[in-house]
Amino acid sequence: MIKRNQPVLLERVNKMEHATDVAEYERYQGFEGLKKAIEMDKETILDELDIAHLRGRGGAAFPLGKKWRHLYGSKGDTKYIVCNADEGEPGTFKDKALLAHDPLSVIEGMVIAGYLFSAKAGYIYMRGEYRRIQKVFQEALDHAEAAGFLGDNILGIEGFDYKITIISGAGAYVCGENSALLNSIEGKTGRPRVKPPHLADVGLYLKPTLVNNVESFAGIPVILREGGQAYRDLGTEDGGGTKLICLSGHVKNRGLYEVNLGTPLHEIIYSDEYGGGSSTGNPLKFIHFGGQSGPIGAVKNLDDCIYSYEGLWEKNLSIGSGAIVVMDDQVSIVDYLVQVAVFFAHESCGKCTPCRLGTTRILELLTKFNKKQAESGDLERLEHMLTHVTNLSACGLGQSVANPMRSGLDYFPEEFEAGLKEAAVPVKGGLW
Amino acid sequence: MGLSLKEKEAIIFENDSDPQRILNIFLDIQFASEEGYIDEETAKLVGSHLGLSEARVYELLSFYAILKTEPQAKYVLKICNSTPCLYTGGDMLAEVLETILEVPIDQATPDGLFMYHSIPCIGACDQGPVIKIKDTVFSDLTEEKVYQLIDDLRNGCYLEL
Repeated sequence: MIKRNQPVLLERVNKMEHATDVAEYERYQGFEGLKKAIEMDKETILDELDIAHLRGRGGAAFPLGKKWRHLYGSKGDTKYIVCNADEGEPGTFKDKALLAHDPLSVIEGMVIAGYLFSAKAGYIYMRGEYRRIQKVFQEALDHAEAAGFLGDNILGIEGFDYKITIISGAGAYVCGENSALLNSIEGKTGRPRVKPPHLADVGLYLKPTLVNNVESFAGIPVILREGGQAYRDLGTEDGGGTKLICLSGHVKNRGLYEVNLGTPLHEIIYSDEYGGGSSTGNPLKFIHFGGQSGPIGAVKNLDDCIYSYEGLWEKNLSIGSGAIVVMDDQVSIVDYLVQVAVFFAHESCGKCTPCRLGTTRILELLTKFNKKQAESGDLERLEHMLTHVTNLSACGLGQSVANPMRSGLDYFPEEFEAGLKEAAVPVKGGLW
Repeated sequence: MGLSLKEKEAIIFENDSDPQRILNIFLDIQFASEEGYIDEETAKLVGSHLGLSEARVYELLSFYAILKTEPQAKYVLKICNSTPCLYTGGDMLAEVLETILEVPIDQATPDGLFMYHSIPCIGACDQGPVIKIKDTVFSDLTEEKVYQLIDDLRNGCYLEL
């Protein structure tokens, strides 16, 4: 039985002595989800996932049940399962904990997917910065295979053959984008593909492919073990389950936590159980949610905010990867956004012009505001550029660059206005 | 000292000469070699074992940030410049390192021992300020701790790095 306010994904992370030990994993209900799955009708597995209402934990929050159903319905004998472990979103370090301290749960989730889709090959694409964890994960794979949970005839089922290969990234944020990640697995540069077609139809090596985040895969065994409804009850109407959150910035207790979706944000930031309030003694000013591409909220507007998908949507915010970066009132929003823009200008893959040039122009404009050298019309130029980059970029990287910038402009316009040069001369002609 | 042909091939074979694992192969070779980079000869070797053209191999080497095509200092200190680290004390690291090492960012010290540069996010946002050297993260740094770290490295501590 799982109840609200008990660790679900982090239970073993905090308890297991040997993270790769199959017997110890099984003592904490490991592989029970898989064992249940193989006794279920495949349609019933999909039904349970729908009931659970797990939204993808990588950041996009797309209902996982729908994604799995799409792949289930796609045509083709060869289907691939891919785990996106390219966690490179600044402010995010949750997948690292699962990969290093509970790798078998991720493997179990991937094996369930392998069973459901009759896939022979699974891949886990892990960021290059996690080289040590790759070794731990390989050990977990070896142990799982030795115990009969990977390899040929898994659990004695004839033809249930499935292997997982670790592919390393080598430092490219854009590889967190699913189609770029597949290109990288194929041994190419990790630049995103044009979509559609959907990866569930044309994915790795042009075959139907499932790509899910580490935390999503780790949730699958829980859903099948406990039932979709029990999982859903941990969360709220618009999203079931618990969420791993990463607290960083100016809070006393930085770190990784697991919360039920529906926990008040105030509690997460201020209670001693979680953030513990400001670490600097200064009042807190803004919170950056979900990573660099996520929106920013002003603390003064968030007193009544509930940390759930719908709770954050109501405030024009989003959960994203689960990053919660908190800043105090000594941080200038413009200065902060310059650093965010530096990140995007550096990480744009360069394939499409709106993102390649747009991220650079955004960085230049924000720097002008930060140096108090902005001219009349620059604010409009910035807003135009944000719109262009959002609407014209080919992939999620460019499309989401404007999220933090826009919320910064909305909540702290006076800081941008203060960046205008005194006696600025109006520009003549068009904006471009 | 670079790796011998045999050592490089061993890494390629451990990865089943699998083109899918080309990044694993390059990272393993780069981290095992003392100068910390992939030279032309190695790039060609890997390409020929994996059946990939030189153009494809160089495209990869120039795209991925961790892969280097020039010799590196013995200790490359990586500083995270993303916002969670930067605003929790990370902003002092570059300044302190410049004072201690007397070289600007991205430039090796004359003895070839040290070099420091900024990278975005190493997944240790709750432990900033941090410096990463190879696979090791030195966390919750203060100015004093950075002085100590450099001293220790000069004195041959951290042999595993």
